[in-house]
Amino acid sequence: MTQRKRLSNSHSSSQSKRQSGNLVSQEEDDDSTFTQPSTLQVQRGLEKLTTAQVDQKTAEVVQYFLVKDQKKIPVRRADLVKHVVKDYRNIYPEIIKRAARVFDQVFGLKLVEIDAKNHMYILINKLEKVDGASPIKSPANPKMGLLFVILGVIFMKGGVVRENLIWNTLKKLRVDSGEKHEEFGDVKKVITDEFVRQRYLEYVRIPHTEPIEHEFRWGQRADMEVSKAKILEFMGELHEQDPQSWTQQYKEAHSVPSSTQAGTSSQR
Amino acid sequence: MKRTRGGGDEEAPRQNGSVGRKKGDPQQSEADDGGSTLGPADLQDDDNDPGLRREIRSKYRDLINSVQQNREDMLSPSNNKLTEVLEEANKLFKDVRQAREAALDAQLLVVATDLGKEKASQLFAEGTAFDHIAFAERLLSFMGLNRLEDGEDDQQNRGGIDGYLPKDAWHRVARRAESCFMTAPAFHYMMGSFHAEPPPPKQKIERQRKAPSKEAARIMPTQLKKMEGSHQEATEKEVERILGYLKSYYQDDPTSPISYYEFVIDPNSFSRTVENIFHTSFLIRDGLARMYLDDDKLPCIAPVEEGEVEAGGSWSRKQCIISISPKIWRELIDAFDIRDTLIQPQNTQTE
Repeated sequence: MTQRKRLSNSHSSSQSKRQSGNLVSQEEDDDSTFTQPSTLQVQRGLEKLTTAQVDQKTAEVVQYFLVKDQKKIPVRRADLVKHVVKDYRNIYPEIIKRAARVFDQVFGLKLVEIDAKNHMYILINKLEKVDGASPIKSPANPKMGLLFVILGVIFMKGGVVRENLIWNTLKKLRVDSGEKHEEFGDVKKVITDEFVRQRYLEYVRIPHTEPIEHEFRWGQRADMEVSKAKILEFMGELHEQDPQSWTQQYKEAHSVPSSTQAGTSSQR
Repeated sequence: MKRTRGGGDEEAPRQNGSVGRKKGDPQQSEADDGGSTLGPADLQDDDNDPGLRREIRSKYRDLINSVQQNREDMLSPSNNKLTEVLEEANKLFKDVRQAREAALDAQLLVVATDLGKEKASQLFAEGTAFDHIAFAERLLSFMGLNRLEDGEDDQQNRGGIDGYLPKDAWHRVARRAESCFMTAPAFHYMMGSFHAEPPPPKQKIERQRKAPSKEAARIMPTQLKKMEGSHQEATEKEVERILGYLKSYYQDDPTSPISYYEFVIDPNSFSRTVENIFHTSFLIRDGLARMYLDDDKLPCIAPVEEGEVEAGGSWSRKQCIISISPKIWRELIDAFDIRDTLIQPQNTQTE
């Protein structure tokens, strides 16, 4: 496909290659040196391509994301550029913009950059869950339950929790980090490796501890995907208390939604 | 105290250079709070007394250990042990003269401040207390924990915890918790991908076809033995009958060897020949007959003398597989010029 493109735009594309010289020559370079092209460069790049070509590339990006999202591991910009965008990297911002639009309008999903420094993206659901029975009876993933327990405790305890507190809570729930669990298998691995890689949790070493201890926090994905207000609601149901009785947590859950917070129950 | 700060006569502080100067400041405040008044002679002795130095270091290490070991307890808001530790450390610090001790003091300070930071963060919980253990218990109820009254199932459940958790416990939690998550549904092709795998099944089929045919010839005798459980008596009778023939032929002329082929082959029927071979193999197996090669390297068969038969067989057992096809059968008939069968077929027996 790229071959054909070069032939049809032979004269102009070779010119554009010379013009956006340093960007295209990076094809051979390490992808970590990918720099975001300027708006002008993007514009010039778009002029050389047909709408069909750009749409095709956008569709490829969308498909890549959808498949990568199965495991819920964030997509790195470097991988995206290396494997999918390739020679269209000079119009990368435009491609991403269009892909985000496709996700929004076609799938009801939101493309979010959870790490502006390392450039990682995730997909989250834009649509509010319908209260009560959902038309699709898909089986719930029990790991969600496990994640809820951990995220819930961390949130209710102020946002940071020493790992022992989590292990003790789970032990009470018959989930022992030292043993193989019927449902979750290697519990320690699921929590400290899988959930961390998916960016649901952060598992950070506490300095100066002997023996080494870690603390848990909410991960970047959790910040985007999980509603603190809804967690508080569930907590209220469990404890037969008004969610507002936890003043500090209630305040945090219903604070003015920043760009780093998932939807609150008041947001529709 | 103040004298030790400066360049004084003592060697110890000078040896440790800047450390001596740094520790001067806190020492001063200690002195202001009414430190001990010691004469210069006393100070010199203390500075150089290795026993005292060791004692101070040991006390520091004890303090550090006590903070690390009792961390959990000291975290509790009602526990004031940390303050006591710091006060102890202050007292110890007055006697610190050397770098080693000061380093320990610094280490204690680090450990204590970490703990202090954590205790401070606990203040968040004031008034908005969340008991994670109570939460766990309530969640267990939500999961449908069946709390049993009698202690029958205590063996199954881990020490002391009563109750039986249903299999879908975590599914229940997940279903309720789902609404808290705005997870994008995972994308999967509805009908799977086109790259289904036809090749492996084909290979399996081929292997299975080959296996039975190879093993069939070998297995058949054993299988037939088993299958003919109901026909066992018939086989046994037949085997005995053949033994009878063998013995009688042998007795007729003990010196003349009986050719195996002449013995088993029935020139009138290939299938009966095969049966004869089959039944004869039992005699060999049970050690009632033996086969050997004569001078012409042709197989011969002879019954085993009564006395020679030993259970288990002390002589080495050899196995061989005999195959025969109609073609070979006919060739043998021609080669040995077999006119008549030595083993009479059963239904023609008049006995």
